[in-house]
Amino acid sequence: MDLPLVQKFKDKQILSRLKNRDKETFIAVYDANVKEINRFVYFKIGNREEANDLTSMIFLKAWNHIQNKTLEDAKTLRALLYKIARNAIIDYYRESGSKLTASLDDEDNKIEVIDDSLGSDERIDQEADFEKIRRQLPLLKEEYREVIIMRFINDLSLDEIAEISGKKKGNVRVLLHRALNALRELVEKEILI
Amino acid sequence: MTNQDLIKKLNNLKDVNPDDSWLKSNRELLLSQISNSGAENIPAWRTIFITFSSIAKTASRPAFALGAFVLMLLTGSFFSNHLLEETKPNDSLYIARIISEKVKLNTIFDGEARNKLAVQYATEHAQDITAVLANPEFNTEANQEEIAVLNDSFHKEVNAVKSRIETLAVKNSPLPAAVAPTGAIKNNNDSVVIADNNKEGQGIQVATSDILAPAKTIETSTPAASSSPIASSTLKVDTVKPAAEKILDEAKQLFDQKDYSKASDKLKEIDNIIK
Repeated sequence: MDLPLVQKFKDKQILSRLKNRDKETFIAVYDANVKEINRFVYFKIGNREEANDLTSMIFLKAWNHIQNKTLEDAKTLRALLYKIARNAIIDYYRESGSKLTASLDDEDNKIEVIDDSLGSDERIDQEADFEKIRRQLPLLKEEYREVIIMRFINDLSLDEIAEISGKKKGNVRVLLHRALNALRELVEKEILI
Repeated sequence: MTNQDLIKKLNNLKDVNPDDSWLKSNRELLLSQISNSGAENIPAWRTIFITFSSIAKTASRPAFALGAFVLMLLTGSFFSNHLLEETKPNDSLYIARIISEKVKLNTIFDGEARNKLAVQYATEHAQDITAVLANPEFNTEANQEEIAVLNDSFHKEVNAVKSRIETLAVKNSPLPAAVAPTGAIKNNNDSVVIADNNKEGQGIQVATSDILAPAKTIETSTPAASSSPIASSTLKVDTVKPAAEKILDEAKQLFDQKDYSKASDKLKEIDNIIK
């Protein structure tokens, strides 16, 4: 893991190169972050096609923001991308007039996350667990879902989440705790049913 | 299900990724879009310039913080030194002054210099005590306990001065005639002939040197008899100790008689002798 100062230097260098309209750097940034941003958007809006379109738009917006020197307040490039993604999702909700209330994708378009190292019984259990979370995640409050995706799916640090969401680190910690409890209750309730 | 189990399951969801074909096609699409808006491959010289400016931007804050810290440390120690020197025995910061003095003493490796500084500090402490007790606002019935402590401290400090001066005198004392080097012979009751190895200012310590040169006579016990550096140094051995003891005894007497200002003046004489 890079030291904070080294990471800071790398971020500054990438931002400077992007400001200088460096094509190669943009592609490097895209390759390094596209999966993570796409996952964030997908779990937020719950539709694969829409998530892909939004992801594409987010990277284009990031390019334009950097060229126009807006959103300079983000400490890291990762935080900048997440901030743009959040704004893009808010715009998407506003335009479509709907929020995610149903499960992620439909039954014909299931998420396939299977660990090949597991035996067939364990694989079935794992698949069942994923299905439970997949069904319950959209039922969580918007802000709960967001912190869970950022922290436990995309591995963002508390500092990064605090910066992206504009909350204090302590508040993020409390929010995460509540969100996790809420999700656990939902999953357990489904098991009982 | 515990929260840990849930976190583990959530962690596995990071394997949810878009199709590779979409990733590839979207990459091409974005590349063409940014190319239209003026994206290019920047030349090497500009890359080097960007790297250096990024280093400067990244390092500027820590360098500034470090500079500010060093400046604060230096100015802080300078001003705190002055501030502490002004503290009196009845001040709350007096303990900080004592600690600071002890630190200073421990950082001096030359034994003689350390003893001299210790004498100076002890004398100053005794003077400060007299100054505090001379203050009529402090020296009242209400502060009897503190006054008793200060009285005790005064005697301790004076005794400390005495013992330090004694240590100095022992270290600087000449060797007895019986063990003196061959170059040194007893001249008369008040003078001693010591060896001279051309090192001015070393005084009596020269007599212990193995390298002995032609003999030289220096008056040691009569201060006014010589003005050379050697004589001035040797003067301390025979005269400083009794003179200092006399002054300190007088200061003690004056202090016991509650004549604080005269006791303080007496103590100032110690400084002059030690210098």
